[in-house]
Amino acid sequence: MGSVVVDNLRKDFDDVTVLRNINLDIKEGEFFALLGPSGCGKTTTMRCIAGFESPTSGTIKIGGKDVVNTPPNRRNAGMVFQSYALFPHMNVFDNVAYSLNIKELRQRNVLKKIGTYTRMLNSKLVKYPKHIEEKVMNILEYVELTEHAKKLTSELSGGQQQRVALARALVMEPEVLLMDEPLSNLDLKLRHTMRNTIRRIQQELKITTIFVTHDQEEAMSMADRIAVMKDGEILQIGTPTDLYSNPETPFIADFVGTSNIIPATVIGEENGLTKVKFGDDQILESSTVTDKKEVQVIIRPENLKVITSDDAQTDNSFEGVVQFATYLGSTVRYDIKMGDQLLVVDTMYESGDSIIKDGSKIKLDVSPERVLLI
Amino acid sequence: MKQRISGLGVIKFLIYVFFILFLILPLLAVFLVSFTNEPVNLFGSLVNLEQLKLTIEQFKNATLDNFKSIFSRGHYFQGLLNSLYLSFIVSIWVLIICLPIAYGIARTKMPFKRTISALSTIPLIMPTFISAFAFIIMFGRAGWVTYIYNALGGEGMLIDPYSMTGIALVQIFFFFPYALWPMVAAFRVTDVSLEEASRNMGSKSWLTFVTVTFPLALPGMLSTALVIFAVSFSDFGTPIILAPSDLNLIVVDAYREISGFFNWGGAAILTVIMIAVAGFVYWLQNFLVKGRNYDTLSGKPKQVKLIDNKALTIPLTVFSGFVVLIPLLTMGTVILQSFAKTWGRDPLPSGYTLDHYKQIFTSSLGNIQNSLILAGGALIVSVIVATFVSYFVVRHRSTTLDFMTTIPLIVPGIAFGIALIQAFNTAPLQLTGTAIILVIAYSIRRLPYMVRSTVGTMRAIKEDIEEAAVNLGASRLTAAVTIVGPLLLPGIAAGSILVFVTVIKETSISILMAPASWAPMSLAIFQNVLRAEYYSAAAMSVILVAIVLILQAIANRLSGGDKT
Repeated sequence: MGSVVVDNLRKDFDDVTVLRNINLDIKEGEFFALLGPSGCGKTTTMRCIAGFESPTSGTIKIGGKDVVNTPPNRRNAGMVFQSYALFPHMNVFDNVAYSLNIKELRQRNVLKKIGTYTRMLNSKLVKYPKHIEEKVMNILEYVELTEHAKKLTSELSGGQQQRVALARALVMEPEVLLMDEPLSNLDLKLRHTMRNTIRRIQQELKITTIFVTHDQEEAMSMADRIAVMKDGEILQIGTPTDLYSNPETPFIADFVGTSNIIPATVIGEENGLTKVKFGDDQILESSTVTDKKEVQVIIRPENLKVITSDDAQTDNSFEGVVQFATYLGSTVRYDIKMGDQLLVVDTMYESGDSIIKDGSKIKLDVSPERVLLI
Repeated sequence: MKQRISGLGVIKFLIYVFFILFLILPLLAVFLVSFTNEPVNLFGSLVNLEQLKLTIEQFKNATLDNFKSIFSRGHYFQGLLNSLYLSFIVSIWVLIICLPIAYGIARTKMPFKRTISALSTIPLIMPTFISAFAFIIMFGRAGWVTYIYNALGGEGMLIDPYSMTGIALVQIFFFFPYALWPMVAAFRVTDVSLEEASRNMGSKSWLTFVTVTFPLALPGMLSTALVIFAVSFSDFGTPIILAPSDLNLIVVDAYREISGFFNWGGAAILTVIMIAVAGFVYWLQNFLVKGRNYDTLSGKPKQVKLIDNKALTIPLTVFSGFVVLIPLLTMGTVILQSFAKTWGRDPLPSGYTLDHYKQIFTSSLGNIQNSLILAGGALIVSVIVATFVSYFVVRHRSTTLDFMTTIPLIVPGIAFGIALIQAFNTAPLQLTGTAIILVIAYSIRRLPYMVRSTVGTMRAIKEDIEEAAVNLGASRLTAAVTIVGPLLLPGIAAGSILVFVTVIKETSISILMAPASWAPMSLAIFQNVLRAEYYSAAAMSVILVAIVLILQAIANRLSGGDKT
């Protein structure tokens, strides 16, 4: 198991640059997510690491070894495909044993080679040697598929197929495990279970894992660190909490969780707090220090407090009108109109609370530490 | 990725060598010979300096005489004109007779629709030279049709099979299925709602047909007519049996020039012209169907309301029945002939015997064996080539290979045969007259069927499955063999049977190229017909058709049997 270092990676398809200036430093045993909207280059980045695409320039090191000129079948980077890409003509056992068969093929013994080749074409003709048998059964037990070993992959459920794909990649003891949107074909409930399964296995095996996803919730809940990508570039790399509380661009603020983004003008500084003006002369204070004049105010929906009574003490607030309320069980989400901007506010809901009526004029209060200026 | 010498790369190179050696260079050589008027040794020129000098000398003496003579000397020009005329007549008549049948099948509830559909496949299993031979024993001087005709008061023969009319009739009744099914498809996909609109505006149903249905189906029919034109133009089996000596047809002329007079220049110029005509028709047909696809109409299936007007459907059935009856009678005649003791000028044989079959199984078993071995050999070659070609076409998007595998589809068999004979006539690659070149000729000629079948299956195999294998450590070649290969098997199986069947039915290449020691069934039948040994020819034909029929049934089962 090893680290993955990507240095100055660039990839052009004909005249189109799909990746530029990609730098990654993924540590041994780290669970690393590549997050971004479709077309951002996250899959291409992974395919470069796997060797299916060759970079136009830049280096890729797996376990300290430069692999740019290593063919994909020699990189030992196990991959779980979005479609799982299970071999439909083989049963679960044969699927998982595939890489072990390939290892046998690399031996010098010609007779063994022929035997292995025959077994790969039809496993009924040549028996598996004991060490392969044991290894495959071990990994199948690990992903709880022992009783399905002799089934065709098409007879399995989505979640089971997913685990076959995982087992097939793990059995080769890869330096790095690559997962390309592995959960996108599963239904919501299964997706949550599989998240935990993958995370557990990754933790137990301490295997370096790169995980491609467009689902920020998935990335946030699983990864140690996340690289957010857009238009072929990495915007920010950080831990989930880092990205959430200190997004470096409005795009990240909005893509990682939900944000209210309000354009504003800096009008002064007082007691270490920056004063900004927006909308119809509304003023807010922020603890962010900036030397910019025009800024974007970023406020998370849960950090805004709705105040209905006029007389309540408000230090840092602005006005708005409730457009409508969405009741979500433990929370209520208000869509609030402020000038010509729409804001979202999440408030905790406890039984007995009343929901504010549409059209009510309210104030929104926020502490300066929760107001981010970018 | 850096260019490395990989297993797949080597195979791709070998495939290219195969096509260049056995397809491109021979065709090129025949083109050159049409100028030099004497055989050109291209392969020799590549390895031998003396030969190269000689070849260059030949080119210095190259003339346009042959091309001039085509248009001045009446003989060849007349042959070309006759062939074009024949193909034109055949395609028009095929359209005319298919129109009502296709309409009946696609749009009406005509009685016996299934039976008619089933019977319309008979022409597809009979090679034309057997049909032509059957026409002789039906319509010839001693034929039973002639007997009935005379009994009814007719004079002489109803139709002389040894004539343009005879040839045209065989081709019409044995090529119509190639047009029928595309036309049925065209009628099925034309938008019924337009017809309903026409009806809704008060148009009568026949008027609707003339003004809406027919024009909508017209482009499809035109392209179908061109297919028939090409098939008729390239057909060798019918004319070689039926063309009288005073009727020049280009395929027969070309055959006679090469196998009778060894006139290389003459054969070459005729070959070039045949390929030019076939190529033009192919281009025109492609041009017409561009942007249309009659097979892949998906989306909401339109519920076509089938017409159930007895006044329409009964005449349709009678007509369709008559058309499909003729091939059936033809086949029946061959079968009857094969069991006949003697069959003179009578409606039925004088008695029945198995002697002709006994004779075949004692003296001509070799021909059957040859056919099976040659077809098997061609099958193996085409499976190997087609598998890799489809891999390169689908995965590497190799348009060159894609193009090369369509060439055999266009080049008429007799033209391809002449090209091969000419190219491999001398050292260093003297293969003419060997079984090897015969097998290669068969396999290249039928490769398009195989490739079409395997490319279809290959497209259905997702690329990531292969990538998964590579990711797990397999080389591209190992992945292709262990993953793609097994998944490709259904496509290979379906294509294999088609190749095997068409090779057994093959006429032009067999007659032109097969050496006596490797004479396949088709050549044996041909020679028997020429020697007027009709009984053994009939028995051998029945065996050939039976083999084809059995294999076709297996193929239908393999492909799910839902294809028309």
